[in-house]
Amino acid sequence: MKKVAFKTLGCRLNQYETDAIASQFQDNDFQLVPFDKEADVYVINSCTVTHQSDHKSRNFINQANRKNPNSILVVTGCMANNAKNELESREEINYVVENDRKSSVFSLVEAHYKGEILHPSKLNTDLFSYGSTEKGFHTRSMVKIQDGCDNFCTFCIIPSVRGRAVSRPIQDILDNVRDVISNGAKEVVLTGVNIGRYEFENYKFDDIVEQILELEGDFRLRISSIEPDGFGDKFLGLLNHPKMTPHLHLCLQSGSDPVLLQMRRMYTIKRFKEIVDRVRSVRSDFNITTDVIIGFPGESDQDFDATCNIIKELQFGHVHAFKYSIRKGTRAERMTEQVDEKIKTKRSELLRGISDQVKKQYRTEFIGKEQIVLVEKTNGKIAKGYGEHYIPVEFSGEELKKNHFYKVKIKSMTAEDEPVLTGEQMI
Amino acid sequence: MRSHKVIEIRNLTPSTYIIRMEKNDFTFKTGQYITLGFSGSIDRREYSIYSSENDEHLEVLIKEVENGLVSKKLKRCKPGDKLDIDGPFGHFSLQNDEINKKKFLFIATGTGISPIHSFIATHPEMDYRLLHGVRKEEEAYERDSYENGNYILCTSREKTGDFHGRVTEYLKQNPVSSDTVCYLCGNCHMIYEAYDILEKQGVQLGPIHTEVYF
Ligand SMILES: Cc1cc2nc3c(=O)[nH]c(=O)nc-3n(C[C@H](O)[C@H](O)[C@H](O)COP(=O)(O)OP(=O)(O)OC[C@H]3O[C@@H](n4cnc5c(N)ncnc54)[C@H](O)[C@@H]3O)c2cc1C
Repeated sequence: MKKVAFKTLGCRLNQYETDAIASQFQDNDFQLVPFDKEADVYVINSCTVTHQSDHKSRNFINQANRKNPNSILVVTGCMANNAKNELESREEINYVVENDRKSSVFSLVEAHYKGEILHPSKLNTDLFSYGSTEKGFHTRSMVKIQDGCDNFCTFCIIPSVRGRAVSRPIQDILDNVRDVISNGAKEVVLTGVNIGRYEFENYKFDDIVEQILELEGDFRLRISSIEPDGFGDKFLGLLNHPKMTPHLHLCLQSGSDPVLLQMRRMYTIKRFKEIVDRVRSVRSDFNITTDVIIGFPGESDQDFDATCNIIKELQFGHVHAFKYSIRKGTRAERMTEQVDEKIKTKRSELLRGISDQVKKQYRTEFIGKEQIVLVEKTNGKIAKGYGEHYIPVEFSGEELKKNHFYKVKIKSMTAEDEPVLTGEQMI
Repeated sequence: MRSHKVIEIRNLTPSTYIIRMEKNDFTFKTGQYITLGFSGSIDRREYSIYSSENDEHLEVLIKEVENGLVSKKLKRCKPGDKLDIDGPFGHFSLQNDEINKKKFLFIATGTGISPIHSFIATHPEMDYRLLHGVRKEEEAYERDSYENGNYILCTSREKTGDFHGRVTEYLKQNPVSSDTVCYLCGNCHMIYEAYDILEKQGVQLGPIHTEVYF
């Protein structure tokens, strides 16, 4: 049996796409092995949003080549679009597959073993033709509803590597969701690059969400990352649906209006706070997580303080912060007031301290309360998984099974940086 | 990406010009922008569409920026040259159900007037006022396109405009009624300040209509 190993960098959409490709390999008698083990095929689904992600992708390419220099090495994902020439000139890489052809990675490898060397440019371009992911690495089943982004935030390279916003036909999405539910998925996660901008015929994002929530079955729905400019009253009205999980990843990027304008983000801090207030009025313990960029060109101490303050004020359940790094071809690359790397590092440390503290505070509130946990790992007596708020929970019980929901009474919380709620199964 | 032939260049001031291109089958929603560059060149920039949805051709209004790469290159383009257009992009658009019902205030600095020109050229029946902030009177780009009295030129470096000072100063002195729909386009410092002033005057900006150029 041939072995295949995957490494995924970056966003959830990449994760979904890897899962789908992995399922295809498994369906065709490949064995999935961890990336640090010897394999016949290595697939690196790369990311290019920061310098760091480029760096990591390069390291994984080297690692795969060291493990098995005779393997088939495929690099796909955003770095394959952004640094195509560089990657194609590296001999150890067999195939560089751009995002729009990613769904055909399996056919490429299959052809390779049949002695047919296909050029990736001959592969099908289809952004949505990924199969289902039920055999992937997760209990949650991701469903891709959209790809690409037209927002052109000044720091962001995504529009040039993922392309224009494209929405998947609503019927395909509903069929895909029905399919994963009937295959046993208990949690459906909507993914895409900018899902709030979903638009197909007359259907908008909130229409999709509404129709999915109306489907029958024992499942819950999670919205992954969403931009604050992407939704209105109808969506907010759907948040108290029993199938909807109380968690949103709302990208803030900065707590300062002047910086948001320079980033060409389409909202103000006041509007962002209004949204958070409206969401928390549905459920006061709603988990709102976010992304923050540290050291965007022109970010003053005052701007940075504003970001720290809003994190404390809005009590984000998690802050994914990254240091700004110049991406070629973006408007921010041409901005003159770039922030010194040392200042960025100092600000990062400060911000991490604040967000860890806020996260702890937020999670502590769950002690004494109940969570509905979807089990991802268990030995029958102890199980791990995520509660509806997307907080990790570990609990004890009897005859616990993977991919089942359990009502858990939260008793305490671990002391790590990524605190886990601990509790007991409620009968 | 599509290639469009340049028809004509109209110089409005020593640094500002309009490029008229063939429209071919390109469609857009008034207020949107395109990215533009010479065919085959990797240097491309965003430009709002100046012409109306219904015009037979496509126009952009560009100011050559000091030390700017693309705005300088494009100024030298000639009829017959090919430019690559990508788009249209953006959500700086009028709401269909508001166009004939609401009172509008458009606030622009410099070439930020471009999408506003397109709004008005597409919907000439709109009830609007336009505040245009520039340094000198010569930057009142094609002011004859707007109905007399609707266009208010604010000049900051000369006393030749309808108002001497910045648009934000004008706004402070001439409060806006709270039922006005506002669209702001141009320099982000103006947008930041104007937004604040309008909000204090009780204008419900709702989802903000802003387009930041730089
Ligand atoms: C959505 C959008 C729509 C736009 N529409 C228009 C339009 O209709 N007409 C138009 O003329 N421009 C418009 N711009 C600005 C345009 O995209 C370019 O930034 C501008 O033409 C300068 O490009 P450049 O290559 O000449 O300068 P660059 O080489 O990119 O920049 C040189 C220097 O000038 C600064 N700079 C950039 N833009 C400006 C500016 N406008 N004024 C002063 N300094 C600046 C930069 O920060 C940099 O330091 C728009 C921008 C956006 C984001």
